[in-house]
Amino acid sequence: MSRRVYITGLGMISAIGNNVPESFLSLSQSKTGIGKINHLTTRYKDEFLAGEIKLSNEALADLVKDNNPALNRNSYIAMLAAKEAVINSGIDTNDGLRTGVISSTTVAGMGKTELYYKEMFEKDDHLNVLDTHDCGDSTERIADYLGNVDYVTTISTACSSAANAIMLGCRMIKHGQLDRVVVGGVDALSKFTFNGFNTLMILDREWCKPFDENRKGLNLGEGAAFVVIEGENTLNLRKGKALAEVVGYANANDAYHQTASSPEGYGATLAIQQALTMSGLTPSQIDYINMHGTGTPNNDLSESFATKAIFGNQVPKFSSTKAFTGHTLAAAASIEAVISVLSLQNSMIFPNLNFTTAIAETGLVPETTLVNTPLNTILSNSFGFGGNCSSLIFKKA
Amino acid sequence: MTKAYINGIGCISPQNSIDSEWFFDTINPAKGDYFDAIEPSYKEFIAPNLLRRMGRAIKMGVAAGNIAIQQAGIEKVDAIITGTGLGCFEDSERFLLAILNNDEQFLTPTSFIQSTHNTVGSQIALIMKCHDYNFTYVHRGFSFESTIQDALMLFEEGKETILVGGIEEHTPNFVILNRRAHKFQELQSNTPIWKSTTPGIQMSEGTAFFVLNKNKTDKSLASVDGIQTLYKPKTSADILNKLRSFLKLHGLILSDIDVTLMGFSDDVNFDQKLQELLPSIEKESVAACYKHVCGEYHTASAFAMWTAVKLIEKQTLPKVLAISDKAPSKIKHVLIINQYLGINYSFTLLSQC
Repeated sequence: MSRRVYITGLGMISAIGNNVPESFLSLSQSKTGIGKINHLTTRYKDEFLAGEIKLSNEALADLVKDNNPALNRNSYIAMLAAKEAVINSGIDTNDGLRTGVISSTTVAGMGKTELYYKEMFEKDDHLNVLDTHDCGDSTERIADYLGNVDYVTTISTACSSAANAIMLGCRMIKHGQLDRVVVGGVDALSKFTFNGFNTLMILDREWCKPFDENRKGLNLGEGAAFVVIEGENTLNLRKGKALAEVVGYANANDAYHQTASSPEGYGATLAIQQALTMSGLTPSQIDYINMHGTGTPNNDLSESFATKAIFGNQVPKFSSTKAFTGHTLAAAASIEAVISVLSLQNSMIFPNLNFTTAIAETGLVPETTLVNTPLNTILSNSFGFGGNCSSLIFKKA
Repeated sequence: MTKAYINGIGCISPQNSIDSEWFFDTINPAKGDYFDAIEPSYKEFIAPNLLRRMGRAIKMGVAAGNIAIQQAGIEKVDAIITGTGLGCFEDSERFLLAILNNDEQFLTPTSFIQSTHNTVGSQIALIMKCHDYNFTYVHRGFSFESTIQDALMLFEEGKETILVGGIEEHTPNFVILNRRAHKFQELQSNTPIWKSTTPGIQMSEGTAFFVLNKNKTDKSLASVDGIQTLYKPKTSADILNKLRSFLKLHGLILSDIDVTLMGFSDDVNFDQKLQELLPSIEKESVAACYKHVCGEYHTASAFAMWTAVKLIEKQTLPKVLAISDKAPSKIKHVLIINQYLGINYSFTLLSQC
C-alpha cells in the first residue's frame, strides 16, 4: 500500500481551451473564456455571459472519434479530458494493474433530456435519451473509452463534487484498493442549471468579479477535467513522473442552509483546517490559495472569513480562477486542481480577473496580475450546495 | 479486515418494511409492471415546517435515516453517506417541466434547490447539526455499494459511527415513459423470479438506511464484512471466480454461506449471468431472491442488505424469498449478489455477530 499519492497526468477542456496546453496559454495570457452564449439554447442567450467550450457537439464527436448517438455533451467532454490525462500520465490501462475511474457530475444527461423530454410524451423517437440521463452514464462512457477499467463510481455533491472524487481516489490508493485512478468531474451547460442559478438570482449579467466589493454573482461555465493519481509504489515501479503530490484533503459540512454558506464560513474553516492537519503543514507554509471564489456575495464573503480564521493576518497570495472558466460546478474542483498543478510546475499564480475593490468587511486583496514566483504548496477550496465543503492541498513533486 | 457493525436499520419500500415487526409475512403485489413505495405518515419522523417543502425522496430518506438512528440509540454520527441513482427526480422533473412549459419564465428556485443529488444527505446533516464528512454517490447499481465501501475505509481512518443509505424515487411520468420504452413487464405473481424468459423489469423505488459502527455493541444486529463491485464482468464463470476470491479474502468458501440473496430482476437479458451462476450457488449454498418483493431500482441492494440483516436476526428464510427447496439450518453468513442491468454487479457479505 502506498502512503503517498501523486498526480501523474492532467486533462482538461473548458472555455479557456480544449486541452491542457491551450488552457495554460489562456491562463498565462490572462485571457478569459467567458463570453457571449453560442451553443446553449436559452431565451436569455443575449442577456447573460457564460464560459462555454468553443466546440459544437458535432465537433466534439469528431474529436472523440465516436458517432454513437447515445453520447451527449457531458460524455464527450468527459471522455476527452479523461483520455488526455491518461495519455499525459503514460499509464497503460491494459497492463493488468487495477485502474479505477471516479467521476462526478451534477447535471449529468440533463442537457439532452431537456431537449427531448416533452417530445417523449408524444413520440417514441428519443425515449432512449432516458438511459443516458443519470450521473453514472458519462463515467461508464469514460471507462469504456479508456478500456480495461476495473472500478467505477460517481460522486455528486454539487460544486465540491470533483474535489471529493479526487479525495476518494487518493484514499482508495492508500487503502490498496486500486493501483491508479482517473479522477475528476464534468458538467456541460444546460438550460436546467442556467435557469436554476438564475432563479436563485446569483448570476452576474456581466463578467463575474470574485472577491470584489461590488461583485454581483457568478458566470456559469462548462467543462471537464481529470487527473491520474498513483501511489508511490506503482509510480516507482513503472518509473513514471509525478507532477504533484496530494498531501492534504478534507470534507466537512457547513450544516447551515441548503444553498447558502454560513456567514462565518464554519464548514469551510473546518475543511481547510482538517486538510492542513493531514498535510502536516502550518498555515504559513501555504504559498498560494486557489479559492472557490464564485463571485456571489455570499460565497466570497464566507470564504474570506474562513480564510482569515485560518490564516489570521498572514493570508497567502490567493486568486479565484473562475473569471477565466466560469463556474463549472461539478468540474470546478478538478479544473482548479489542473490549474494548481500548472501553477506549481510553472511557478505562476494566475490572476483574479475583474477585481478592483476589496470587500469592506475583510479587506482581502487577490493577485490581479500574473505573478511569477516559486510555489511549493497550494490550497484549493471547493464548496457546494448542501453545505458541502472540501479542501485539497497540492505539493510540488 | 475492518468490519462494520449494523446498529440500526430503517427501510421504506413497496412492502410494510417500515414496521419493525414485518418479516415478509404479508406481501403487497406489484402494480402490474411497477411498484410504488408505501410511504408512512411522516409527522412522527420529520418536523412539520421541514416536511412541507420536502420532495418524496427527501422525506423517505430522512424518515428511514431517523428510524435507523432511533434504533441505534445515538444522537450524533461521524459521517453521512448516501447513494442514489436518480437523486431527487421528482423535484428535477418539476423544475424541468416548469422551464419547458413556461419558456424559462416565472420559475421559483425550491425544486431546483432540492433537485441536487446530495439533498437528502445534507438535509440529514442540517437536522442533526452534523459538520462531518458528507458524501453522495450517484453511480447506477453501485450507488449504495459505494457508500459501504467508503464507510469501511472511514472506519480504518478513525471514524466510529456512520449513517449510510440508499434512496430512490420515481414519478408517474417516468414510469409512463419507461413503459413506452419497453423496459417493463408485468410481475406474474409474488413468487421468486429466477426463471424469466422474457425482457422487462418491474421499476420500483424505496430507501434503506443503516447506522454502522466500527465496534460491536449490545445494539449490533449483524456485521458487514466486505463488499466488492464488478463492472461489466464478461462471463458468469468470471463472476464465480471473483466471488470465490472475495470469499477467500474473508476466510470463507461458498458452502459457508447459509443464504445467498440474488438480484434477479425478471429481465431475461439482465438475469442471464445470474441464471448461469445459480446451479453453482444452489449446490453449495441456499439461493433466494428479493426483487419480486422490492422491485428493481438503482439502490435495490440497500433493500437486499436490510433483508439480510432481518434473516440473520430471525434465523429463518421466509418461503416467499426462497429459490432452493432446502432450508438453511442456521443463518450465520448471508451473501448478496446484486446486479443492475447486467452491467453493475456486486457482492456484499454479512454475518451474525
